[in-house]
Amino acid sequence: MSPGLLAQSLVLGILTGGMYALMAAGLTLIFGVMKVINVAHAAIIVMGAYLSLTLFRHLGIDPLLSVLLLIPVFLALGALIQWSVVNRLAERDITLTVLMTFGFAIILEGLQGAIWTSSYQGIKTGYSLESFQLFTLYIPVVRLISAGISLLLLAGLYALLTFTKLGRAIRATIQNRTAAQLVGVDVRLVTTVSFAIGIAIAGAAGPLLGMLFTFYPATHWLWIGKLLAIVVLGGLGSLRGAFVAAMLLGIAEQVTSVTLALGWAPMIFYVFLFGVLVVRPQGLFGAVERQSL
Amino acid sequence: MLLQLEGVIAGYGSGSDILRGVDLSLDSGAFTCLIGPNGAGKSTLLRTISGLLRPRQGRILFRGRDIGGRRPDLLFRDGIAHVPQGRSSFAQMTVWENVLMGAYSLADQRQVDQGLTQAAELFPIIREQRHKAAGLLSGGEQKQVEIARAMVRQPTLLLLDEPTLGLEPRAARVVVEKMRMLNQLGTTLLLVEQNARMGLSAAKWGCIMELGTIKLQGMGDQLLNDPQVKRLYLGQAAESA
Ligand SMILES: Nc1ncnc2c1ncn2[C@@H]1O[C@H](COP(=O)(O)OP(=O)(O)OP(=O)(O)O)[C@@H](O)[C@H]1O
Ligand SMILES: [Mg+2]
Repeated sequence: MSPGLLAQSLVLGILTGGMYALMAAGLTLIFGVMKVINVAHAAIIVMGAYLSLTLFRHLGIDPLLSVLLLIPVFLALGALIQWSVVNRLAERDITLTVLMTFGFAIILEGLQGAIWTSSYQGIKTGYSLESFQLFTLYIPVVRLISAGISLLLLAGLYALLTFTKLGRAIRATIQNRTAAQLVGVDVRLVTTVSFAIGIAIAGAAGPLLGMLFTFYPATHWLWIGKLLAIVVLGGLGSLRGAFVAAMLLGIAEQVTSVTLALGWAPMIFYVFLFGVLVVRPQGLFGAVERQSL
Repeated sequence: MLLQLEGVIAGYGSGSDILRGVDLSLDSGAFTCLIGPNGAGKSTLLRTISGLLRPRQGRILFRGRDIGGRRPDLLFRDGIAHVPQGRSSFAQMTVWENVLMGAYSLADQRQVDQGLTQAAELFPIIREQRHKAAGLLSGGEQKQVEIARAMVRQPTLLLLDEPTLGLEPRAARVVVEKMRMLNQLGTTLLLVEQNARMGLSAAKWGCIMELGTIKLQGMGDQLLNDPQVKRLYLGQAAESA
């Protein structure tokens, strides 16, 4: 592979990886506080894409603006669903809760098919096909924008978790739920808030996905596979890990698609994932679980 | 009376009773040590007092109010702090963040600063190692961070579950000495201790728990000299009795 081609696929990989990181961030956050894999996560992202599509077609609202609009809506929906259904079940049976998110995914898929039909969709704006040249590199504008927005949102999430009192409570709840309770944290409330934040990030990723990729109701199965691979590789519950793993996946996909063929990209990634897990079962950044209580 | 348990029965899930009618009273300012064999229910008792476990029967009165079934985070705000058995620090957070979590429920910044200052006076380690991840500290250092975290809010009652477990004798003595100082500052202590000799000599009052009930109690030094206690818990041969 020529150095120019390599640089080109690295850049494209990083730009795509930024969006993957945003898509995976909510999933790993929800796993962190609840120890539940939200199988519906990608279906929620696709829901965000459909909503953005409708807002764009019927009201002319730019998908980038709908990112901002969807965040509060998904935040509220996430809190409502967590408080009314998920929490009650999670406190009784964690396995059933995972099954329930699976059910959610199927319901969302059915809903999307009923409203938007099962044909392929994409959000095509005036700048969708634009690109520019940077030295020898070819940069598609939407990829740059979506990576920029993803990084901005991830930086916001990072700042929230690192510098605020709520963020400290979320991290404490993730690391040791019992100890968090014993220092006065209402862990149920923290769990609800974290879940809602995770869903809000998924909603925000929707319009970005819709601009970059075509989608249809069943696409979420493809995506949840990728997202699971990312969060497992990064270490379940680790945001930093998910970020690094998302970048690796983005780059691996681009590099393999220019050297071998696009079809090989996922396989290369899973081989890599498998290799890492053999050496580090807890993932790249995962902590080895320590039992409390 | 600060804390009073009357016929407390508790257990896990739908399992059998672990506490089978515990009666226990703690005066304000007391330093009580609870000893007993493995599996007697000592940790279960502390969990029931701090709200991690809901009593099935009986009453737990804290300052005259029945607190049975109240959430642990609310009880912590009421003044009951619990340092559980084993490691319970937030391993990937820094030492200072750990201690700050102890002040999570305080809104008044002055109170936060005051609590942090007092904790740092008793446990200088939380300033010395403030930027280190708590999980990287030694066992004894982590225990000190956990106790510091529990005292930032200046609890009325502090429950300590085998804080010296796994520590080398010198580190264990440091922890015990800190407990004595905390007690002198006015905190009521209920200490579960595997090393009966060390626990009973540090505390003023001792309780012996067996099979989910308090079997015997008395002044710490009296229990230390009790022939039956000597034989069962102090590992002394029967002939010395
Ligand atoms: N989380 C739990 N779920 C179910 N049973 C438990 C749980 N924790 C403890 N038990 C049971 O309760 C009984 C008392 O345990 P507990 O931990 O209170 O004993 P302990 O006196 O603290 O013992 P040790 O000195 O070993 O710490 C044991 O039989 C144990 O098997
Ligand atoms: Mg115990």
